[in-house]
Amino acid sequence: MPLSTFLGVETALRGLLAQQRAIDVSGHNIANANTVGYTRQTATFQATPPLRDFPTGDIGTGVDVLQYTRARDEFIDVQLRAQTMLQGYHQARQDGLQQVELAFNEPSDSGVSQLFARFWSSWQDVGNAPESTATRQALLQNAASLAGGLQSVRDQLTRIDGQVQTNVGLTIQDLNSTVGAVAAIDQQIMSVVASGQPPSNDLLDQRDVLIDKLGGLVNLTTTKNADGSVTLQVGGFTLASSGSQTSVNQLSDLGANLTSGKLKGLDWLDQTIGGAGGYLSKLDAVATSLIGSVNAAQASGYTLAGAQTAEPFFTGTDASNIAVNPNLVADPTLVAAAGQPNAPGDGTNAFSVAGLRGNATIDGAYQAFVVGVGSDSQDAQRATSNANVLVDALTNRRDSVMGVSIDEEMSNLVRFQRGYQASARALTTMDEMLDTLISRTGRVGL
Amino acid sequence: MTGRITQSMTARMLLADLHTVAERLSATQQRIASGKMINVPSDDPFGTSRALQLRSDLEENRQYQRNVDESSAWQDVTDTALGQIGDFALRARDLVVQAASDTSGPAGRAAIASEIDQLVQAVKGEANAQYAGRYVLAGTKTTAQPYSQSNDAYAGDASTVTREIGKAVQVGINVPGSAVVGSWNGTTGTGLIGVLRTVQNDLQAGNTTALGNDLQALDAAHDALVAARAQSGALTNRLDAAKSRLGQIEGTTTKLLSDTEDADMAKTLVDYSTQQAVYQAALKAGAQLIQPSLLDYLH
Repeated sequence: MPLSTFLGVETALRGLLAQQRAIDVSGHNIANANTVGYTRQTATFQATPPLRDFPTGDIGTGVDVLQYTRARDEFIDVQLRAQTMLQGYHQARQDGLQQVELAFNEPSDSGVSQLFARFWSSWQDVGNAPESTATRQALLQNAASLAGGLQSVRDQLTRIDGQVQTNVGLTIQDLNSTVGAVAAIDQQIMSVVASGQPPSNDLLDQRDVLIDKLGGLVNLTTTKNADGSVTLQVGGFTLASSGSQTSVNQLSDLGANLTSGKLKGLDWLDQTIGGAGGYLSKLDAVATSLIGSVNAAQASGYTLAGAQTAEPFFTGTDASNIAVNPNLVADPTLVAAAGQPNAPGDGTNAFSVAGLRGNATIDGAYQAFVVGVGSDSQDAQRATSNANVLVDALTNRRDSVMGVSIDEEMSNLVRFQRGYQASARALTTMDEMLDTLISRTGRVGL
Repeated sequence: MTGRITQSMTARMLLADLHTVAERLSATQQRIASGKMINVPSDDPFGTSRALQLRSDLEENRQYQRNVDESSAWQDVTDTALGQIGDFALRARDLVVQAASDTSGPAGRAAIASEIDQLVQAVKGEANAQYAGRYVLAGTKTTAQPYSQSNDAYAGDASTVTREIGKAVQVGINVPGSAVVGSWNGTTGTGLIGVLRTVQNDLQAGNTTALGNDLQALDAAHDALVAARAQSGALTNRLDAAKSRLGQIEGTTTKLLSDTEDADMAKTLVDYSTQQAVYQAALKAGAQLIQPSLLDYLH
């Protein structure tokens, strides 16, 4: 079968068009070099189907763009999201625990441990001079500082816990709106896929950015569906599938399905501060033990006037309401310093209260509590910085695959520009050939 | 990975590294500003535990030192009072010896008897010695005078006033007046006052034969005073020893606390300048690294 004279023109034209598309893609890449989540695209060339040049064989007809490919490694995506999830979890814990630590103001000369130390010392001072109202007044002052210190630490812990709970609500809202955005994109993708076309690379990028964000909030599993959508799940709870979303109304909706991510980190904080056996209950236990022990010792002593007293030293039941008995403040002689009746110079009962110093359920427990919070916080900081390093490393690995390299795009531009120029030159050659054929051939003798 | 290095990677790595160095720099700066290695418990939970314990120990130790000082001052007042009372007892002894000699007539004995009465008042005056407004020879009834001028009864009690000079180490610091100074109810008595009133009665009654026994009783009362002074002196020695021991413990505890908590300034400052140099180098390298691309060389 004879081939068309103009085959070469067509071939050169295809070359021109294909190189131009490739230059367009490079332009798109360069334009999006700083777009978050943008995946580098490449125009994949493929030789067009050949023509049969019987009997010699097939002759090539040029090139066409087969597809525009996203350079994405989905395996790294999975790894990265697993680390982002841990980062979100530990970061939330670290932020909360650092606030908790600041509430203690330890070790310092003004923290609650120091207030405890001064409180016990004042009892010794009262034991040294039980006759003096001044030392009793100093004791009551120091006791009021201690009660105030315990209350203020408790107030701050309660406030931090409240902030954490607010933050849980905000994070759930964020989760729902992000899942909603994924579902909306999925619907667009599904309609394109249903018509038999590949989904838009840029929509896929947008969806990946949203899924990356979700990965930091909860322990997310994603499954790709044949209709182009993704199924998003937290354990057994399905957030979205085929473009339809199930909203999370409160934390309990997720229940035991939630195991990691920022939301779990916040839940952990809430439990650790306000939950059973949490920081607040530990602080309360210290205060309750202080109130109980000091009041018991006070009850077995005698006032300056020599009588056994019915007045407790502290009122209240835990760190939220501990206070010095106002009757003692009004009349400091009612502090029971003596160990026997009618003995104003006897301070043995004051010494036995002072002997509670370092008690394993009072200030000993408080010290252990502060150190425990310090350990928790240090653990969260260490885990966060580990997760940060891993997230950075994996983000770099992913960027190495999907990121835009200006150097590379520049060399591609040079390549495709040269390709374009060469195709144009081939076209010019064809044109000159045809010119020779049309304008000069058959003019012998004219 | 021999792979593509993209501009965003370079920028991110540079930022992450700068961030790390800046964070370290800021931690060092905080150490310099506060002078502390441990600013929050998580800086070093173990060190925090130690620091809290040491601070509490230090506070306790200083309290015991105050208790010791307080006890020593109490002892000084007690010792002075007992010394004075002892002198009065000796003066009374001289008077009894003088009265027992035959040369003193009834008029002389009456004069001696009235001097003895004055001595009893003086003994009671000394026995009302006060430290910081408290009567030291009154047992635990320290707020009321143990002896009044109108009678010779003892208004205090025989209880012990204790002070704590170490963990669970309690010492009794007082000498109750009833034990050494004694009292007189008009017919019988105890202690020095009892002996002196007996002497006075014997002199007034001209019962010179009883004066020999009285002299022995007076010596016994004086011995009791000397014994009480010796005991108080021994306690003063013990308090001095406790004070110097507590002082040494305070020194070592303070040093331990400083070792645990305080920043080593020389080391911290060297760290700071090293980190600053690293930070500046990183910034400079970053500025040069970020700029060039193939773009700069293609025309």
